[in-house]
Amino acid sequence: MPPKAKAKTEDLIETKTAETVSTLRQNAEVQFAQELAELAQADQRQKPPNWKLSPWAVATYLLGGKLDNGFEVSPKYIGSRRLMEIAIATLATDRALLLYGVPGTAKSWVSEHLTAAVTGDSTLLIQGTAGTSEEAIRYGWNYALLLSAGPSMDAVVPSPMMNGMNDGKIVRVEELTRIPADVQDTLITVLSEKTLPIPEIGVAVQAQKGFNVIATANNRDKGVNELSSALKRRFNTVILPVPDSADEEVSIVHKRVESMGRALELPIEVPALEEIRRVVTIFRELRAGVTTDGKTKLKSPTGTLSPAEAISVVNSGMALAAHFGDGTLQAADLAASIQGAILKDPVQDAVVWKEYLETVVKGREGWQDIYRACRELL
Amino acid sequence: MAATIFGIRHHGPGSARSLRSALKNLQPDIVLIEGPPEANDLIAFAESKEMKPPVALLVYDPENLQQSAYYPFAVYSPEWQAIQYALFAKIPVRFIDLPVGMRGELERSNSGADPLDWLSKAAGFGEGERYWEYLVEQRRNSTDLFAAILEAMTALRQELANENDDNYDLIREAYMRQCLRQAESEGFQQSAVVCGAWHSPELVEPWPTAQDDAEKLKSLTKTKIQATWVPWTYGRLSSASGYGAGVESPGWYHHLWTHQKNVVIRWLTNVARLLRQEDLDASSASVIEAVRLAEALSAMRESPLPGLAELNEAVQTVLCFGDTAPMQLIHQKLIINDRLGQVPSDTPQVPLQQDLQQLIKKLRLKQEPIAKALELDLRNANDLGRSKLLHCLNLLGIPWGDMQRTNSKGTFKEAWSICWQPEFAVKLIEAGVWGNSIESATTAFAKQTALDAPDLPSLTGLLDRVLLASLGEAIPVLMLQLQAVAARTSDTLHFMNALPALVNILRYGDVRQTDTSSVAIVVDGLVTRLCIGLPFSCQSLDDDAAAQIFEAIQQTHGTIKLLQNPEQIDNWRQVLLQIAHQSSIHGLVQGRCCRLLFDDGSLDTEATSKRLSLALSIGTEPTAGAAWAEGFLRGSGLLLLHSDGIWQVLDAWVAGLSPDNFVAVLPLLRRTFATFSSPERQQMGEKVAKGQVVSKSIVTDMPNFNPDQACQALSVIAQLLGLTS
Repeated sequence: MPPKAKAKTEDLIETKTAETVSTLRQNAEVQFAQELAELAQADQRQKPPNWKLSPWAVATYLLGGKLDNGFEVSPKYIGSRRLMEIAIATLATDRALLLYGVPGTAKSWVSEHLTAAVTGDSTLLIQGTAGTSEEAIRYGWNYALLLSAGPSMDAVVPSPMMNGMNDGKIVRVEELTRIPADVQDTLITVLSEKTLPIPEIGVAVQAQKGFNVIATANNRDKGVNELSSALKRRFNTVILPVPDSADEEVSIVHKRVESMGRALELPIEVPALEEIRRVVTIFRELRAGVTTDGKTKLKSPTGTLSPAEAISVVNSGMALAAHFGDGTLQAADLAASIQGAILKDPVQDAVVWKEYLETVVKGREGWQDIYRACRELL
Repeated sequence: MAATIFGIRHHGPGSARSLRSALKNLQPDIVLIEGPPEANDLIAFAESKEMKPPVALLVYDPENLQQSAYYPFAVYSPEWQAIQYALFAKIPVRFIDLPVGMRGELERSNSGADPLDWLSKAAGFGEGERYWEYLVEQRRNSTDLFAAILEAMTALRQELANENDDNYDLIREAYMRQCLRQAESEGFQQSAVVCGAWHSPELVEPWPTAQDDAEKLKSLTKTKIQATWVPWTYGRLSSASGYGAGVESPGWYHHLWTHQKNVVIRWLTNVARLLRQEDLDASSASVIEAVRLAEALSAMRESPLPGLAELNEAVQTVLCFGDTAPMQLIHQKLIINDRLGQVPSDTPQVPLQQDLQQLIKKLRLKQEPIAKALELDLRNANDLGRSKLLHCLNLLGIPWGDMQRTNSKGTFKEAWSICWQPEFAVKLIEAGVWGNSIESATTAFAKQTALDAPDLPSLTGLLDRVLLASLGEAIPVLMLQLQAVAARTSDTLHFMNALPALVNILRYGDVRQTDTSSVAIVVDGLVTRLCIGLPFSCQSLDDDAAAQIFEAIQQTHGTIKLLQNPEQIDNWRQVLLQIAHQSSIHGLVQGRCCRLLFDDGSLDTEATSKRLSLALSIGTEPTAGAAWAEGFLRGSGLLLLHSDGIWQVLDAWVAGLSPDNFVAVLPLLRRTFATFSSPERQQMGEKVAKGQVVSKSIVTDMPNFNPDQACQALSVIAQLLGLTS
């Protein structure tokens, strides 16, 4: 976000609330403004400098809970309390936080809500891509001004990083490993010295208390730039896992499918939990390499099979059933997208998937329809 | 007299430390410990310099070695510290628990509920161990700890009086009280009683009358029991090993015991050092950050000092970059710790040694340090027993006998060279942790080895040895493991090599009546996986790899036919067809698949010659064609003699080769033809000499054929085939 707009944050929030109907997605601090306000009111514990809430309140905001005055905070992250505590404790010790994990495990989601809760502003965001340049992390120049008046602070166009340092806020770096290695390394000075030198003018921006960085990165991607060990050492790494229990995962998938289905206005009922449970079971078993009853080991495919993919499988199954099928979700509607999610490598994954079909699905009671539907496609 | 009761939890550095200082303050004149009285004579060994915990008291019935109990002690076990205190202060020390020999038929409650769980739930903790650790083990100074424990337990036992009190515990407590009375009557003034916290309220006076207690103990009969010290490991002290009173983190407790100050920093430094040993980066700067994070976490959770949970989380986050793999190493090496104890050399023999002596006597073997040849005839019961013993010992890592090759073709002969080496005795003591008899120890060991086995070949190797040692009980575990490993294996060759041994058991059974149903499931899974994986593993092979697959396919074909399961045979045939169809596969393998299908009748002559001519057609490299021919023909040339279509295709191919190409493929063809028997080659030569004129029937081809003589044989053959009545 350009720096000038920042001054008008208040207006922005107002306009945003007015525009709720058409905005596709709101920032966390806007969407959950009431929860944050209630938490701030109830929060009596010690806050680290420049934090809006205490670590305890941040944890409650993320994991949900009931306040003393009876206000119910909704859970943003369904999963291990431990991991969230580690993440918050990391930020409290002014170490940078790296959220790591397979795609679809709520890394960006957690990072957005953490910043929203800690600094009340989740908009200081640097999106990492192969084309991310040093200017995006440090600063750029207003060239017209630079040419006419020479280098000065006025001619500097600050990056979100510089703004975060100035204001003592948390900056988010998305997809850190996609950024070219030499650009990544500009973060080292920022993280260890907490300053950002501007040699052209001979000054350095000193980070204010409360400044920190949350980065997210993907460990299953191809074509990423591994972090240098110097940079890696400056982060505390928290790996976000796929959900622990099947019930947890089913409920996550069900919730998201429901809300997305509503958004896409699909003319179909949300499928019964049973159908979702089957998809989730297939994904979990292949991911874990063992059947739910723990009796049969399996090979795992190369894909990640995250809950996010399960959600999209069910969604596309619903779309198929609504537009081309008989309006209720059948095994055949799911089969194609399940297969598409699993067969990422045509040779290896085909072996894995065939083995799974033959050794597990074939013999499972009540799964004949899905077995036949998948066999037909192979 | 006054008896002071110290309720403790077995194995805890905090209670051990508190107990030690409490004993120093109390200055008792006798120490009484909850432990087996049969081992009273052995307590003095604890003073020996050679004795290094962890060790265990092994109490067993010499008549029935399966009846035994272990009482492990770590250096931080309160009981161990009480023994050390008493031996150092030169005051008597006795075990006062109900003798193992009297427990015979007493029913043990298996409620499994740790009494601490009740207290910890009341205090808002999850489970007992964390609560106890928080309250007791991490505490550095505690004077009135034992009074508090006693009070809590008294309240707890009153609450749960009817639910949890079972007869077994009551009888034990009655016996303990009798021992206290005995000490009193001997004139001791100040006794210190160290027992599990749960029992402590019942040992505090006022007691029930002596008659009441005697009444409870009256019906018990006593058997003769022996005891000895054995070395122990922290691994077996951990609750993960199945030890009931085990702790989750023996190594961490050891650390808490040995270090009074800077516990957190020392622990994290040790972790960093371990990681460095394994070539993982772990800088001092990271250790500093880990300490900070651990402290921040414990502050967030409102506990005064970081516990193991916080330390682990800090290590994983900072030192391991979130990765869990190094955490397993840390768990194994530091949290559990692989420390092995040691016992003095003059401790009494362990039952495993005794069992071996008995077996040796029974089987009339001699332990001699000179190599000696031994020929066994397995049809003879005594020799079979000897063979089994030697195989078992080999499995346990005690290579007393070395199996030699025999010239005899029968499977009932085994030749051994046996030579007993003194260090085997030590190995035997070490093997004592696996069990009390050779058979049970070997079974337990084989099971563990199976669980640790990294791949399929090592498992099938183990299976062989287990079958030789006839350890029927280990088979189901092995089968489960085989299945699990098979699922992870992607090397089809491993499957194919594992199959024959299993199928043999399944098809023919074995003398030891192995349960074949579990084998059948494994074989089924193996064949299914094999059939799915084989076509892929036949892709892009070099000559050596192709030769391996060739052998494996040949072997597997026989094995699957032996199974006689129509579904599997059909599956296999489909796979062979698939391989024969694919063009990118090495000729040797393809040729063999065609041949197997042809022999089976799945491909008729016409289809086969079509394939042969395709493989040998002008578009293929001559060497590839020759490889195909080798795969197709190797082993038997009869096919060529019988099937004109195939003969002609091959003939035309050879005749059509350019001189250069002919020279190139000649060695390959020669190699193929060399595998045919000489009459076959002779007939082929004749066939070539005759040129294209090939007769329809092989019979007329035969020289010196005498129809009259043949007719005479016909009736006998008809009878043999059952064609005539």
